Amino acid sequence: MKTCIITGASQGIGRAAAIRMSRDPEVGNLVLIARSEDGLAATRDAMESDGKRIELVAFDLADLDAVPAMVKRVNEEFGSIDMLLNIAGYAEPAALLDTTTENIMTTFQVNVFALIVLTRECVKYMRHSASKILNVASTAGVTSRPGWLAYAASKAAVVSISNTLTDELAEYGIKVYSISPGRCATELRRKLAPEEDPSTIMQPEDVAEVIATLMRDDETCLDGQNLIVRQAPKAGR
Amino acid sequence: MRRGLMVLAGGVGERMGRPMPKQFILLAGKPIIAHVLDRVRDLPDITRIIVCPPEHVSLTEELLAHRNLADRFTCVVGGATRQESVYNGLSYFEGYDSVVIHEAVRPFVTTAEFQALIDDPAENAIYGSSIPFTVLVGHEYVEQTLDRSSLVNVQLPQKFDVARLRAAHEAARAEGRVFTEDASMLHHYGQGRVRILPGTANNIKITQPVDLVLGEAIYSEYVLGGASD
Ligand SMILES: NC(=O)c1ccc[n+]([C@@H]2O[C@H](COP(=O)([O-])OP(=O)(O)OC[C@H]3O[C@@H](n4cnc5c(N)ncnc54)[C@H](OP(=O)(O)O)[C@@H]3O)[C@@H](O)[C@H]2O)c1
Repeated sequence: MKTCIITGASQGIGRAAAIRMSRDPEVGNLVLIARSEDGLAATRDAMESDGKRIELVAFDLADLDAVPAMVKRVNEEFGSIDMLLNIAGYAEPAALLDTTTENIMTTFQVNVFALIVLTRECVKYMRHSASKILNVASTAGVTSRPGWLAYAASKAAVVSISNTLTDELAEYGIKVYSISPGRCATELRRKLAPEEDPSTIMQPEDVAEVIATLMRDDETCLDGQNLIVRQAPKAGR
Repeated sequence: MRRGLMVLAGGVGERMGRPMPKQFILLAGKPIIAHVLDRVRDLPDITRIIVCPPEHVSLTEELLAHRNLADRFTCVVGGATRQESVYNGLSYFEGYDSVVIHEAVRPFVTTAEFQALIDDPAENAIYGSSIPFTVLVGHEYVEQTLDRSSLVNVQLPQKFDVARLRAAHEAARAEGRVFTEDASMLHHYGQGRVRILPGTANNIKITQPVDLVLGEAIYSEYVLGGASD
């Protein structure tokens, strides 16, 4: 039975991924991480929990020093860590001249530093098994996004981290995936594009479906590249 | 049968022209010694030690902790020379029957090769490969020819009966004699036959800068199986 850790599981793409992964018969244990206890509980209520263990970890990923003990405890509890879905993300859109140091720090703390530290700690327990890591980057990380400087830069870092880790972890049989969703109807997107009608764009469930496909044992060819996940605009809407 | 394995991690970086001890230099993105630890970490029924100079103990322990390997390896302080380090390492294996000796700067021995050495019925065995070039005795002038077909490139890992290896070391210490590796010593003091298992050309020892270049190529072809397109 596999153990899957999902960050950002209290809402949006992380929640949809948790719900979708709970339908995967290979996954026996799901560990959901985010700050909001209520959000995590609501995710759990929407999951298929038959024969699964679902653990909710209300945790602020900005607390980097607390990550090692948290991961160690998860490993002790479940005996292995087989999948890590780094989905949590933070965005505070601002033009260069309006970007505060605090915005830059928080954005990188959650989107980049926490992702590295969490991955480092999980890999300690994953090594020498056929494990998978998936990082959610963004199309904002590969094209210019005036007004989203800190966020876009942090997502470019996620693409780079995924590239390097693909090679660095290849020897251990750990596959590293990077997906870059385009616009997707979530709270984060609402912050970035408040005027947009969410019903016209890709839904979190669509991204979750892609994630579940990549996490399958028989998917062995799509790691090590930044996969753009997008949906063509719906004509006539 | 009680078995031990010692990884000799005593090198200094002189020949590499770097201030850092060789085993900590990054090869394919990770310290050379970590390649070795990854190969031997899961060998069953064997006690693993790393013999290192006192000044590298904390660095080595840190490296183990970072890889969640602290409970699989014990760091033991070596001596001023390679020979003394093996001797010190042997004191850790009191009451053991067999010991495997390896070097931290030979990163390309597979787990299967370690296991084959351990499983070989000979009580003393080493890996050795043929010498693909001509060797002569001489300094400024050629003094003597050698038949390379009768020579062996001595590699590690090597496996020995602990009591016999200890006896050889005691004899060498008594005479103040220094050997570059243990198979020669064991043979010299008549402590039993040493079997030679066929080694591979991949089993290079990282000693000079060019070895790192070769090592990267061996890593991607041999360890990763030629992963790059
Ligand atoms: N939506 C899009 O259009 C889009 C496009 C490309 C990429 N993405 C990426 O997709 C990922 C998911 O985003 P989303 O669109 O689903 O956004 P979302 O609905 O705002 O969800 C973000 C998630 O991250 C968690 N999170 C944020 N800060 C955290 C912290 N300090 N500690 C722990 N968890 C934290 C949130 O949980 P709590 O608030 O409960 O802590 C929440 O579960 C992000 O990495 C985002 O950059 C989204």
